[in-house]
Order: sequence, then structure tokens, then C-alpha cells
Amino acid sequence: KTIGLQVSSGLQDLSLRDRGGRRRDYHDLGINTRQAMVHVQECKTGFSGRMIKLTTNHFRLTSRPQWALYQYHVGYSPEMEARRLRSALLFQHEEHIGKTHAFDGSILFLPKKLENKVTELFSRTRSGEDVKITVTLTNELPPTSPTCLQFYNIIFRRLLKMLNLQQIGRNYYNPSDPVSIPNHRLMVWLGFTSSILQYEENIMLCADVSHKVLRGETVLDTMHSLHAQVGEERFRDTCAKELIGLIVLTKYNNRTYRIDDIDWDNNPKGTFRKSDGSEISFVEYYKKQYNIEINDWMQPVLISQMKRKSGNIQGSVALIPELCSLTGLTDKMRNDFNMMKDLAIHTRLPPEQRQREIGRLLHYIQKDDNVQKELRNWGLSFDYKSVSFTGRVVQGEKIFQSGNMFDYNPQFADWTRETRGVPLIRAVPLDSWLLIYTRRNYDVANTLLQSLFKVTPSMGIRMNKPNMIEVDDRTEAYLRVLQQRVTPDTNIVLCILSSSRKDKYDAIKKYLCTECPIPSQCVLARTLSKPQTIMTVATKIALQMNCKMGGELWSVEIPLKQVMIVGIDCYHDTVSGKQSIAGFVASLNQTVTRWFSRCIVQSRGQELVDGIKACLQTALRNWSKWNKCLPSRIFVYRDGVGDGQLNTLVNYEVPQFLDCLKSIGTDYSPRLTVIVVKKRVGARFFAEVGGGLRNPPPGTVVDTVVTRPEWYDFFIVSQTVKNGCVAPTHYNVIYDTSQLKPDHVQRLTYKLCHMYYNWSGIIRVPAPCQYAHKLAFLVGQSIHREPNRMLSDRLYYL
Amino acid sequence: MDKNLQEEFTQIIKFKPPLHKQRHQFVKDLVEKYKPKKVADLGCADCSLLWMLKFCSCIEVLAGLDICADVMKEKMHTLSPLPVDYLQPSERSLTVTLHHGSVAHKDPCMLGFDLVTCIELIEHLEESELRKFPEVVFGFMAPSIVVISTPNSEFNPLLPGVMLYRHPDHKFEWNQAQFQSWALETARCYDYSVEFTGVGHPPTGMEKVGFCTQIGVFVRKYPQTGESVQSEKPTAAVHKTVFKAVYPSLKDEKYLQNAVIGEVIFTAQIIKHRLMSKREEYGDDPERKSKFQPSVNCFSDYLGKLVVEKNMEPFFSGNEVYVPLATIFSFPKVNRLCGTFEKLCKLIAGKVPLSSDSSAVIFNIEHENEEN
Repeated sequence: KTIGLQVSSGLQDLSLRDRGGRRRDYHDLGINTRQAMVHVQECKTGFSGRMIKLTTNHFRLTSRPQWALYQYHVGYSPEMEARRLRSALLFQHEEHIGKTHAFDGSILFLPKKLENKVTELFSRTRSGEDVKITVTLTNELPPTSPTCLQFYNIIFRRLLKMLNLQQIGRNYYNPSDPVSIPNHRLMVWLGFTSSILQYEENIMLCADVSHKVLRGETVLDTMHSLHAQVGEERFRDTCAKELIGLIVLTKYNNRTYRIDDIDWDNNPKGTFRKSDGSEISFVEYYKKQYNIEINDWMQPVLISQMKRKSGNIQGSVALIPELCSLTGLTDKMRNDFNMMKDLAIHTRLPPEQRQREIGRLLHYIQKDDNVQKELRNWGLSFDYKSVSFTGRVVQGEKIFQSGNMFDYNPQFADWTRETRGVPLIRAVPLDSWLLIYTRRNYDVANTLLQSLFKVTPSMGIRMNKPNMIEVDDRTEAYLRVLQQRVTPDTNIVLCILSSSRKDKYDAIKKYLCTECPIPSQCVLARTLSKPQTIMTVATKIALQMNCKMGGELWSVEIPLKQVMIVGIDCYHDTVSGKQSIAGFVASLNQTVTRWFSRCIVQSRGQELVDGIKACLQTALRNWSKWNKCLPSRIFVYRDGVGDGQLNTLVNYEVPQFLDCLKSIGTDYSPRLTVIVVKKRVGARFFAEVGGGLRNPPPGTVVDTVVTRPEWYDFFIVSQTVKNGCVAPTHYNVIYDTSQLKPDHVQRLTYKLCHMYYNWSGIIRVPAPCQYAHKLAFLVGQSIHREPNRMLSDRLYYL
Repeated sequence: MDKNLQEEFTQIIKFKPPLHKQRHQFVKDLVEKYKPKKVADLGCADCSLLWMLKFCSCIEVLAGLDICADVMKEKMHTLSPLPVDYLQPSERSLTVTLHHGSVAHKDPCMLGFDLVTCIELIEHLEESELRKFPEVVFGFMAPSIVVISTPNSEFNPLLPGVMLYRHPDHKFEWNQAQFQSWALETARCYDYSVEFTGVGHPPTGMEKVGFCTQIGVFVRKYPQTGESVQSEKPTAAVHKTVFKAVYPSLKDEKYLQNAVIGEVIFTAQIIKHRLMSKREEYGDDPERKSKFQPSVNCFSDYLGKLVVEKNMEPFFSGNEVYVPLATIFSFPKVNRLCGTFEKLCKLIAGKVPLSSDSSAVIFNIEHENEEN
């Protein structure tokens, strides 16, 4: 091993001490994108809107003035292999190095400087061997260095452990006060996410409440109930679909594993090779090691791939279903409205309660002697009051629809009522269309049709009577009808499904998106069964169908000319074929009301960038066809970027965009802005209203205090929530030659959150991101291959 | 200090499994044989023996004592309950406590144990401590069984690299005669019997050398004197508790109630779903409605076969489904948890929506499946 002089090596080795051996930098530290953008060097803040007083869930970290962390390399002569031994030998000298230290076997961190740059210590092993230990200072780390920040995070996690919180995955949870939801056999643990980072002016702790959903049953229990539900024939497939990708806990250790495969040919009687080379059966092993009796000897074995250094797969672990408990929610559970409703009661905390829970954590930290001692030893402390500052609420947007202009109530961020009965910008007539239903749903189909005839005229949609077709409630029956009755003139197919069984939906979508490219709309019969809501439902269906056929609903004012907006999002299909899908959409017209789309389906391990380049090229060609010129400005909103992937984006994806633009022509140099959109962030903002805390109103922009100094970034709260806390969306402008003021980029972004046609209100992300998400989701969930390009100028994926 | 390490380099080649594992296995076998409920490990160091013992289902109280708090603290979190222990509380109760203190001092927290283990402990004691040790363990704690292991110095010449003692912290290492005479004297003094054995067999031809680790198993000859004797010895607490973990257990009413409520609602849901899917299947077809018979005996074997009596059938009433408690009680899992029907009723009272005569669980199905 070479002596680690660089910061990065220290960082890597340090993270080893953190459990799991994952070395990913979740906070994207050390990626400075702002320095390349001259126009935001001085100032990256906007100015428009009214001021609002906000508090957040960030707490200042305070350390003594001359705080530094000292990094030492520790060498052994003769060389000692075992890490435990290396630690034991070094810690014989606590009188020299002090009681406070962090050591991973070769790199030692101390809160104080040793007398000499090189210290030699002598120890003796139990076998009487003399060992020389050389402790060499390699780095004095200022509090803001990435290694130091990483280090703070590790120390903080130690504190959480000292508070007897249980680590599950990345976060810590309190097991002593669980909420159980027996209706669904779920248990919810309250816990905390924490990260310590350098923010605009201070190093701060961002602490948030986190809920862990756990299940009170073993994987074997789940398999049994699946067997009871689907029967022998579909059992294995269903198990794979339901279980693969889930995280399990075991009965015997405190680790989490991801289920990557199910080995049906193996069982607990099967054997494996232990590290000492001997063969042992699972039954024997668990009996011997943990005194656990495996009852069911016929169950299959779960396989979990072990990821180590730089993501290489380094073999796999076999797990026994009977000894594993599931955590988290499956897609199926997420789609279960009742379950999510029951969960939401416990997990959606309103602002005051959320802030109270976070306060409780800080209170624990403050009152625990051991924790305080540990903090003192490192010379660290926290400001126990959360940070307050001012944000801005930008003015509401006007909604335009066929020459009419509407304001909406900013409190609800919704204009369903205001625009009801107003002609759409572009209404596509339903001249020739199919309405397919089963015999049971004949009445429902008729009710829907009558309601559609009532609601469409005021929207300006011309509608003929459809071809009403009754089918058997079987997938093949639906497909046969589609094959026989869809003609090139068919505008759209409307199917009424009697159950939410996915296979029928998938088959219809697959056929109509690939082989026979016609827009389609599926509706669950149950949705139509309530007389009191049928008009609302019919209105929504009419709008959705109109969009799917290429219609336009409303617009907002976009002051920039010749601009193309791009949205990208990814969907990772963990079940079938383990492929990833990237959805790509790009605006086609001046008003940003029509969208071109492409989809990239790629197998695991393949890089996304090549596909994106081709998409951008085609998008530019299409834009120029529609506008008779090329766009002079391009905005890319990139969603689906995981924690720690920013580097890849900056170094590979952005250069590919630039390459692509260059390839269009030597005289073509549009202004490009690339913005990374992140929905899952730890930051929460609360508006101080009359002594209490409320959710900030839509349009709240935050670009100070809790943003990062090395980025051109900002937060926008664009949506409203009925209960719980609103989550701000984080925007990180990683590349920008637009020369636009930050205020304009913020405003444009907020405007685009108004343009998602499946929701007549403001959403969490710019519409192109949501469209790209919808597309990727449809392809990943149902179609599994690239949709027919004939459809690419319509929102068929809504 | 870490006594498992000391043989890692020298003896791993010789003993398979390694000697420290053999010592632990020896204790575990003893636990399997005598099924003690309360076990204390003196000189528990990195808690590895305690960790192993926490999986033994007979043990309800585990305690560790060590003179070095840091060494205990390093791995003590491995003795905490796992998330799964909370998710599926076990039948038995288990409390694990770690104390910081000396084996030469009496502390009431060390009373009441069935088995006391002193694995590779005594050779670390100073003479003065060793002198007080028998009185503390055999006189004061007075468990039914004591296990003491210590290096056999006659074996040392066979170990590469061992100069004087096997570990720099050892104050002495005894040969077989020395250990046995000390043990016999101690046993005689406190009315115990003692048997000698060991782990780490000597090489063939050198059997005279004896085991590498010599072990004495002491069994108390007089019967348990009961709690009264313990209270006669009022001793001030001298040990400091550094760790305590109470494992979730069904013996604790709180966890039992949670488990029963969970199981009752879950079982009732299964019955309700069966009933509803039957209705949905036939519901829209009036001429087939007559065929509809609520029946629950088509469950898979896993859920258990039940005897269906007339008054045990679930039924609809308006927007509500009634699932009789008697039906739910007939499910093996519920049955096992509660034991008696009365207990079931008591545990779920006020926690689960019940019919007016408290004979059935009620579900309102009006708002079900509203949206998707």
C-alpha cells in the first residue's frame, strides 16, 4: 500500500469505517461547477417576488476557532496484516495519541497535533514480536475540506448509534416506539436522516425525520401468501416480481441485503463453502452459529450480490427466506390506495410536528452525556436552534387558454375550476374511435360516453359516436379486437378494464405503442362507477385523450424566443431483464405546448450518454422542421440523477451535449443550460406565520444560506400538499452559457412547473421532467422496448 | 484485553477450530446441557462469548463484567436487539447487562445467576484479586455452576514464540497440578464439586502434557438457598452499568398485545378478502347469486384448516363485514399467541373494532377500493 498523501485516499479509507464498505460520496463533494460560470461568480441569487420569513431543518455546526483535523499515516514494521491487530498495537499508546481517534487500519485522524511530524512507537505482540509503528502526519485538514466533512458525518453517525438508534440502510431509527399498522402487517419506525455539509456560509447539519416501513412477516410468510393468491403456476414469476429488488433484514445480524435473485434449485439442506474452506449446510450452519432452527427445509434460497470496491460484483450471499424480514414498500403496495392512506396518517407530519420531532433528536444529543463527551473530545458542537432566513415568493403565473387569461388561487396552485368549460388551445376531434368494454361494464361504458358528449363541446372537442365493442374479459380478446378493428383512421382507443390486473393493461399498451401506433386510454370500471364524480372523471379523461392525440390545453407566458426545452428522466427496471430506460422529451414550438419524445432502452452497465446524444440530434431536427430554424437557446432539465452521480454528469454527459451541438454545423452555437433536478432532498422549509409554522406557498424560491457555495443552485417550492410537509425541489445549474440572470432561470423553471397537462395545477418538477418520467415509466413497466416513433410528437404516454 | 487474538498467529495452524472458539463451544455445550436461565460472564472482554450465548434460547438474563470499560464498549452494540427482534418479538424474555468493575468486589447486581463463566480470566488477576475471587464467585454469587478456564503452562513449550507467558498481561500461568489444587481447595471450601477437563488436545504421544486450555467445572453441592439469603447480604453497588438491553418479548404484555392485534386484524382481513372476492365474482350476476355461499374452508394448508360451524361464518350486514372472533381464534397462529379465547378478548378489547356483542370483528367496506 502506498502512503496516502492525497485527500481522496484518506476519504476512501475513512468511509470504510462507516458500515457496509460502500465508498460512494453521496453528497457530491468537491465538484465545483460554479467556478466555470463567470456570470454567477459574484452573485447567484434572484430578486423578484415578495420576501418571506423561513426556517429550515439546518443547524449550524460550531467548532473552536482554530479547528483542524490531523491526518496521519500509520506504518508497521514488520508489516501486520490484520486490522484488528493493527488497531490493538496502536492503541497500546493511547497516552501518546490520546483517547479520541478514528483509525481504519492505516489512516489515523486526531483532533490534536502530535508533537512531532513523525512519531515512532514500539509495541509487542502477544507472541512476543516487537513491532515498530511509525505515525506520520500527512495532512492538516481545514474544517471545510471534503475529508473533514466526510469525517463530521461519520462522527455524527457514531453519535446516533450512541443514542441507541438502529441503523437500517443509510439512516438511523428508533426501535423502541414503533407504530404498527396491523391492517397491512406494517410497522413504521421513526428515524432521522442526517448530513453535514458546507453550505453557503456555514457548515451545517441537515436533519430530517425519516420513516422506515418494516413488515411484521418473513420472506417465507410472504411467499406463502403469494402462493395462496396466485397458485402454483404463476408462483415463481410472481415471487420474482414481488421480491427481487427488495431490501431484507436478517434474524441474526444487523445488516441489510438486497434480494437479487431466487435460487429455486437450492434449499436449506444445500451446502456452501465457509471462509475456512469447509462445506456446511445452511441448516447446520445456522444451528451452529446462531442456534437457529430452520423449520421449512423445502424453501428456496435468496441470492444477494455483494458489491465492493468501485461497484465490482464480488460474489454473492445466500439467504434463507424464513430468516429474512422485508423492509420498505413494493410497487404493488405503493399502488394500494388504502395502504398508502393508512401509512400517510403516520408518515405525513405537518410542519410543526416535523420540526418538533427533529428538535427531539437534537434534544437527545444535547442531554446525553456520552454524546456530549464525544463531541467535546473532537472540539465540535451544534447550534441547537435551526437556521432562519428570508426567501422569496415569486408572483403567480397567468394561465392562457384560447385567448382567455386566468389567475389561480396560489393557495391551491390549481386552476381546474377556473378553466372549466373554456375551449382548449388545440382540440383534436374524435372522428373515428373505439370504445372497448366487457359485458359487465356495458352500463359504465354508456354512462362514460354520455358524460363525454356532455363535457367535450365546451372544450371545443368535436366528437363522433365511437365504435362500441364488447369483449370477453381476457387479454387475448382485447388484443384480437384491436387487431381486427383498429384502422389507419382510428384517432384513439378507449378501453374500460374491470380490474387493475397489470397484464391486460401491459398487453394493450404494448400493442398500441409498438406494433400498431395509435394513442390509447385505459380506464378502470371502478373509477366510473360513482355517479357523483362521473362528470369530473369524464372531463379529465377527455383532456387526457386530447393530449394523447396531439392536442394542447393551456400555456403560460414564455418570454424567451427560439428556445427548446428538454427533459430527461430515468427508470430502472429491476425485475425483467434488469434494464434501464431513459425518457427524453423536447419542446417543439414557441409556446412550449407540444413535445417530441424518444426513449432509450439499455441493458445494465451501459452508459446513457450515447443514446442521449442521438435523441438531442433528432429533437433539434424536429424543432427546426416545426420552426423553420434551429433553436438559439436550449435548456436541459435532467432528472433521475442519483446521489453521487453528479461527477459523471458534469464530465461525460454535458460534453456529449456540446459535441452533439457542434455536429449540427460549425456556425451553430446555441446557448445551452443544463439543470439537474432533484426531488429527493433533505431540506425542508417552513414559513413562520403568526408564531406557527406552515408550509411555504408555491413559488417560494430559496437561493441563499442552505445552497452550496460551489454550485449555481436554488430550491423552488412549486406544489402544494394537502397534509404533511411540502418537499422543495433542488435545481443545480451545472452548465450555463445562456447569460441569463439567475432570476430569469428561476422564473423559467417555475413557469415550466405549470405546463404538465395531466394536472391542471402546479407540479413538483418542470413539465418536461414529468413527461420524461411518465414515458420512461410506461416503457419500463409495460412496454419494455422502444415505442413506435410514429407517436413521438404526441403525449401518448400520459 | 482481547484474549481471542493471542493465539491467532501461533495456534491457528495447530487447533481447528481455533482454541478460543473451542472454549466458547465448550461453554455453549454446557449451557445446552444444564439450560441455565441466568448466566454471567466474568471478564467478558469484547463480549464475544455473550454474543454467542444470546442466541441460546434457555437464557433469560445475561450479564458481563470486565475491568476494562473501553474493551466492552467497542463491541457492546452487537448485544443490542436487532430490528427483527422488534418486528417478531420472541417468546422468551432476555435482558443483557454489562457492568464495569472488578471480580474482586461484591455487587448485588451479580447475584442470582445459575451459571458463571470465567474464561481465561484468573491468570489476569493480581495476587490480591485472586485471593478475593473465590469468596466473590463461590461465596457471594454462589451459582449452581461455575466454569473456570486458564492456560496450562505445561503446554507452552509446544507453542511457537511463547517465552514466559502467552500474553504480556498474564500474571501467572499454572500447570495442571497447580490449577487442580487451587480448584479442589476452593471447591472444598465453598461446598462445590469440581471436574477437570479442557480444550486443545496435545499431540499424540505427548498426552501427559494435558489440554492447552485447562477447564474446571464446579457444581454446587447444596440446594439453592432462595432469595432470602441474598437479601441478607446487603451490599452497596460498586459496579457501574455501562450497557443494558431489554429484548422485546411476548412475555411483555405490550408486545403480546401488539402481536395479537396484528395477527387478529390480519387474519380477519384474509377472511374478509375471501368473502369479498366471492361476492365480486358472482355479485353482478343475479341468477348466480344463489350459489354464493360464504365459506372459509378453502384456505391453503398454511393458514390452517378450520372446522366451520354455522356461527363461525363471516357475513355481510349493510356496508359492514362481520368476522366472528371464534373463527379468528381457530387460526393456529392466533390460538398459539393467546392460549385461551378469554385472553384473546381481553387483549383486543378497545383496540379492534368489534360488533356490539363483542363476538365479531367489523370492517366497514364502504370506502374500500375507492380510488386507484
